[in-house]
Amino acid sequence: MANLRIEQLNKRYGATTVLNNVNLSIEDGEFVVLVGPSGCGKSTLLRMIAGLDGASGGDIHIAGKLVNALAPAERGIAMVFQSYALYPHMNVRKNMTFGLKFTGVPPTERERRVAEAARMLRLEELLERYPRDLSGGQRQRVAIGRAIVREPAVFLFDEPLSNLDAALRVSTRVEIANLHRLLKSTIVYVTHDQVEAMTLADRIVVMNKGRIEQVGKPLDLYYEPANLFVAGFIGSPAMNFFEAEVEGIEGGRARVAGTAFRNLDIPAGSLKVGDALTVGVRPEHLVRGEAGFFAAEGVVELVERLGEASFAYLRRVDGRMFVAEVRGRQTPAPGETMTLVAASPDVHVFDASGLRVAT
Amino acid sequence: MPEPVSNITVQMPRAKRAGLLLFFLGPAVAIYSLFSIYPLLATMALSTYTSDPSGARSFVGLANFETLLGDALWSKPFWNALRNNLIFFAVHMCVQNPIGIALAGLLSLPGVRLKGFYRTVMFLPTMLSVVIVGFSWNLILSPLWGVAAGALKAVGLGSLFAPWLGLESSALVTLSLISVWQFVGIPLMLIYAALLNIPEELIDAARVDGLGQFRIFFHIKLPLVLPTISLVSVLTFVANFNAFDLIYSVKGALAGPNFTTDILGTFFYRTFFGNQLQLGNPTMGAAVATVMFFIILLGLCLYLFLVQRRIRRYAF
Amino acid sequence: MTTDQRARSIGVHLVLIAYSLLAVGPILLVVMNSFKVRSAIFGSPLALPDASTFSLVGYEKVFRSSHILTYYSNSLIVTLVSMALVLLFGAMAAWALTEYRFRGSTALALFLSIGIMVPIRLGSVAILNMMRSAGLNDTLTALILVYVAQGLPMSIFILSEFIQQIPKDLRDAARCDGVPETRIFFEVVAPLLRPAIATVAVFTIVPIWNDLWFPLILTSSDSTHTVTLGVQQFLGQYITDWNSVLAALSMAILPVVVIYVILSRQLIAGLTSGAVK
Ligand SMILES: Nc1ncnc2c1ncn2[C@@H]1O[C@H](COP(=O)(O)OP(=O)(O)O)[C@@H](O)[C@H]1O
Ligand SMILES: [Mg+2]
Repeated sequence: MANLRIEQLNKRYGATTVLNNVNLSIEDGEFVVLVGPSGCGKSTLLRMIAGLDGASGGDIHIAGKLVNALAPAERGIAMVFQSYALYPHMNVRKNMTFGLKFTGVPPTERERRVAEAARMLRLEELLERYPRDLSGGQRQRVAIGRAIVREPAVFLFDEPLSNLDAALRVSTRVEIANLHRLLKSTIVYVTHDQVEAMTLADRIVVMNKGRIEQVGKPLDLYYEPANLFVAGFIGSPAMNFFEAEVEGIEGGRARVAGTAFRNLDIPAGSLKVGDALTVGVRPEHLVRGEAGFFAAEGVVELVERLGEASFAYLRRVDGRMFVAEVRGRQTPAPGETMTLVAASPDVHVFDASGLRVAT
Repeated sequence: MPEPVSNITVQMPRAKRAGLLLFFLGPAVAIYSLFSIYPLLATMALSTYTSDPSGARSFVGLANFETLLGDALWSKPFWNALRNNLIFFAVHMCVQNPIGIALAGLLSLPGVRLKGFYRTVMFLPTMLSVVIVGFSWNLILSPLWGVAAGALKAVGLGSLFAPWLGLESSALVTLSLISVWQFVGIPLMLIYAALLNIPEELIDAARVDGLGQFRIFFHIKLPLVLPTISLVSVLTFVANFNAFDLIYSVKGALAGPNFTTDILGTFFYRTFFGNQLQLGNPTMGAAVATVMFFIILLGLCLYLFLVQRRIRRYAF
Repeated sequence: MTTDQRARSIGVHLVLIAYSLLAVGPILLVVMNSFKVRSAIFGSPLALPDASTFSLVGYEKVFRSSHILTYYSNSLIVTLVSMALVLLFGAMAAWALTEYRFRGSTALALFLSIGIMVPIRLGSVAILNMMRSAGLNDTLTALILVYVAQGLPMSIFILSEFIQQIPKDLRDAARCDGVPETRIFFEVVAPLLRPAIATVAVFTIVPIWNDLWFPLILTSSDSTHTVTLGVQQFLGQYITDWNSVLAALSMAILPVVVIYVILSRQLIAGLTSGAVK
């Protein structure tokens, strides 16, 4: 168990920059999830922590020790891969003990660790089987078991659930959360699925194009996204955005106007007249009403019924679409004109550079 | 060969990395360099020397090549062998590869049974030694045994029979066809494999579009396996220069009748080792080998510049 | 199935059967007649041997007047040792070239691929000189060295394709597990290369077993002849003795056919795995 510190980490492949000045500090025992769109550099970051890829610049410390020059096995990490990466020609037991042979763990100790991991992961019955005779979920558990027996300081998971079907994904998610409670070890977990990120993480790291956009507790990211990217990435369906402009400033308050919603007032702060802004409201925060802090109108074009809620897709006056969640059995009909309002805490405003503006 | 995938060596200490690479690459590179590349270079170097009867060697520059290409005593058999080689190659391209493609096409049709059996049987001759194959056909086509003559007579074509391997006009083509018979398995298998790689859905889509099997083959499958066909052509071209065994075992080093089956391989052998008619001449042999090397190089360059560039590989 | 489809299917099978007959007919003919008395070979070449025509006189002659067993064992030694080395060194080199990033790896790969296109035979003059001066003339060692050099480029090419199909994560998992690089190769990668052996065998091992050229120029005594060369010389000597000739041919054919039939499934699976593109 150990903390993890990443400083000024850079990774370039030729002319393309894959990681750009990444700084991140992870506490001992923390469950940190790296989330971001596909290709943003999550796996690259994880592989660099593991020592599978070298850095173009910057430092990685594990348990206070600079590990830049250490081989993966010397860093005290264990990694679980998306493809599970089980050795196909070794049975489950051998899969788990194979690595221990080379790191000087005596045979009796190996057996003890395997037995314990097998018990924890309900693998006792499967120890003599080969990977080809296991189901997807079982393979996943073996892969985790192989990581556990190494008793690493830091666990690294790279999209471990993305090859499982939906139901298994949910139950394995719960299992991984339990495991973390049990082992109390530091975990860095990569996913592109924000539900996984929200449910598992102590802290989430949102990445985009090789940069860290925001680090924070799951609900902080949801309620106070630091920028447009995080606002749009966290939450499903995604947050609605409306173009806006500062129309006037009076008495410390700025009047924000846009074509597709009614004017609203926010603290002026350092805003100037004519500044371009973006106003964001989540679909689940929009309710039918007449007047509110925020109000927008639209013509219903399509309704998606999910059961507990429905999503109405509305055409705004500026021709773009936005989405509103509608609860209950009564759903609006296509063609209907609706006015939707939201309360002040649920309205997010971003400046021209995408950064959050206090409301 | 594609880009290496792992960066693990980049982080390693220099000495450790060098040791690792030496361990993995050392044996292969050493044996290959010593027994393949070095002899090739040494042969080329030797081709610029001549040796007198006492065995002493002296540098003569390009004189051996002037002799080979200019002196009628040498140039006539050389051009004859080259021409025969090209005929040998042409027969393979025009007979072996189309037959291979056609059989692969038939085998890859949906719902054909006994595929495994056909494949095994059709590939069998390819596994045998050229010497054995050549000699077996020599017996079968021999008028002494009369099997071929008998077979033709049985289908009413008895008058067509001739001792093909013995006639100046037909010996070379007959030998080429024997080689085709033996090696048809290579294009057959490679193209069959390529055809198997075409996704089933693509073929189903074409069938839904109303294309018959024949059209599917010519308009969809064939264009998609073109890269494999071009690979097969290169293999055929290179194998052409290894075709010594067949001629030597059926016709001997003299490649009779009257040198009509002489190819560069047998010419090289005679020049190097000599035979009943002449003494062996290693330096001239080296010159012949060098010329063969440049002919192969020329062929490969022509292929790369004229053919390869126009062939597109499609990703599925 | 419609009548039309059935007719087409029959047509397809007729073509395939006809070609199959053409492919095995000559081989069957030779083997069949090798078991007959001379008069039957000429009298009814297409008939199977029966009680009155059966004879092993050709085989007796081959055993008596040639060292066929020595030839077999030479061929076996040369082929098996070459195969082991081609596979081992080829796989090791293919691994390093496909896995490790190092300066000059592309150039080295190109250098190694020269041997795929340029027949090593062209260097025969120098090879013979080298072997003579190293005292390896007329030894099986000389043949093995040449064959390994000849087989390596193609086997490296084929094995590289196979190694790339092994998931990258597997090697990285082993690295995280603390497995040393050499052990990753021998204990994780090499066992997974078994399907590649068949493909390598067809393209590099079969040509070794069947080769005439190098035994012809590098070996001179009966004790180092291979089957191909030994039978070739026997045939030349006894050209008019049809029983012996057919028997010698059959003895060269039969072991290959038997092994081929046993292994054909793997061989063909290897060939059609798409590793040679
Ligand atoms: N070996 C490489 N060479 C060049 N670019 C690479 C290499 N590996 C990854 N990349 C690029 O780095 C980016 C980040 O990749 P990755 O970390 O796998 O993304 P993620 O896991 O977030 O989906 C991608 O755009 C990818 O194309
Ligand atoms: Mg990834």
